[in-house]
Amino acid sequence: MISMRGVEKYYTPDAPALADVNVEIEAGEFVFLVGHSGSGKSTFIRLLQRELLPTRGQIVVAGQDIVRLKNWKVPYLRRNIGCVFQDFKLLPNKTAYENVAFALEVIGRSKHVIRTQVPEVLRLVGLEDKIGSYPDELSGGEQQRVSIARAFVNRPPILLADEPTGNLDPATSLGIMSLFNRINKTGTTVLVATHDREMVDSMRKRVIALEGGHIIRDQHRGVYGYGD
Amino acid sequence: MGINVGYFVKESVTNFRRNWVMSLGAVITIYLSLLLVGVSMVTGYVISEVVRSVEDKVSIQIFLKDGAATEDVEELQAWLLRDELVEAVNYVSKEEALERFKEEMAGSSEIVDNIRENPLPASLDVTLTDPRQVEEMAERIKANETFLKVCDRPDDPEESLKYGQQIVNRLFAFTRVIRIIGVVFIAMLAVVSLIFINNTIRLAIYARRKEIGIMRLVGASNWFIRAPFLLEGVIQSLIGAALAILTVLAIQAAILPRLAEALPFLPVDITGSAMVQLGVVLVFAGVLIGLIGSGFALRRYLKV
Repeated sequence: MISMRGVEKYYTPDAPALADVNVEIEAGEFVFLVGHSGSGKSTFIRLLQRELLPTRGQIVVAGQDIVRLKNWKVPYLRRNIGCVFQDFKLLPNKTAYENVAFALEVIGRSKHVIRTQVPEVLRLVGLEDKIGSYPDELSGGEQQRVSIARAFVNRPPILLADEPTGNLDPATSLGIMSLFNRINKTGTTVLVATHDREMVDSMRKRVIALEGGHIIRDQHRGVYGYGD
Repeated sequence: MGINVGYFVKESVTNFRRNWVMSLGAVITIYLSLLLVGVSMVTGYVISEVVRSVEDKVSIQIFLKDGAATEDVEELQAWLLRDELVEAVNYVSKEEALERFKEEMAGSSEIVDNIRENPLPASLDVTLTDPRQVEEMAERIKANETFLKVCDRPDDPEESLKYGQQIVNRLFAFTRVIRIIGVVFIAMLAVVSLIFINNTIRLAIYARRKEIGIMRLVGASNWFIRAPFLLEGVIQSLIGAALAILTVLAIQAAILPRLAEALPFLPVDITGSAMVQLGVVLVFAGVLIGLIGSGFALRRYLKV
């Protein structure tokens, strides 16, 4: 589902943000991407979204060589990748329902599809009671659930999350992670970049650890594993 | 996949309302530049009508000496007609010349009454296909031998020819200057409108950067993201164009009748088809300015 071969990314010519990255992620896997700030996690995620192009190397996502992908095709790639962020990125003037519906509207889905899929995905994330609430009426955990609903409403084969629990307390984080787990059980490939040691250690999923732009560990059923 | 036109219109109108001061600025500059285009088109139209009516009167008169041999005159006439610059040749006899003179001078009867014998020469009136060639044609005539044989003043051929070259030249010089000034002003205003549209669209993009970010994230196509902004620029231009057309119509209704009254000998009327043409030009120019201005802003400020 995701394949990176010999990927390097330089923002400045002297220090690589990512170097010599070789990763294969199969369809249906759940992978944690761990590392300190500045270790290259975000660069990793942004390369997969094709927000960035690698300086060198090959990246294949959902069967497409995204380095050679033409610019106008990028939106169609992104429809295959759901994205969740630390800061939720919800529109404050839209309700939970409207925020999720917006994602379908702007890729030209019909009103019928929107009316059936949005309530369904909001039920999946446990927000059926909060459909008409605005983001500032929701807790952090609820807002992140809305943003996960938005990322997943189009049923993408891949879900990327960049520090999804960075702004949330541990109990809420646990709920978000179990939601990712449920989404993963539907066959979706999930990649979560995180700092959250407890989370990683408790879930016992595949862990890819980054340091200084290099992969220092890639372990199935792994733990966070830094001695800090 | 059905593209929802209503969505684009709704988005554009929302943008317009959100940024109405800047939008108003854009509308006003477009309005002014298009108004100038419109006014100069109307002026140009009126001037060219005037020039044409003057040009119709520009002909070369060849004065013939009394008693010139008829066959020589006919030969000159035939030679003139063979020339590609000549449209028509009209023979005016001494008597006809006197008739015309009397008609023109009907107001001052003492001059007419005092004419005993006919002092006027017969002449050939030469109408040209292109009035701008009048000088060239005069040169050709002066070089013709038959002309020298029959002309009124063989000693000074220049005096046997009469043509309104200077009027035509002056008119052409005048219209050229007017045209250049008009083009320069229109170009400057067009640039100002482009800058205004560019700025309104930039503000609109800035106001909506969160939405745009999310649209990119979930895979909205590039044109889906751009369309509302392009449409906004075009809507601004169309409003400007509509105002300009209305103003030109108002100017026409208010000023032209008075102008026609003041200058009864000049044709200052504008036909309906010319007005339709004007409207089409203004709308097209407006849409073009709108598309270029917002397209430019999108290239610079909207990374998709």
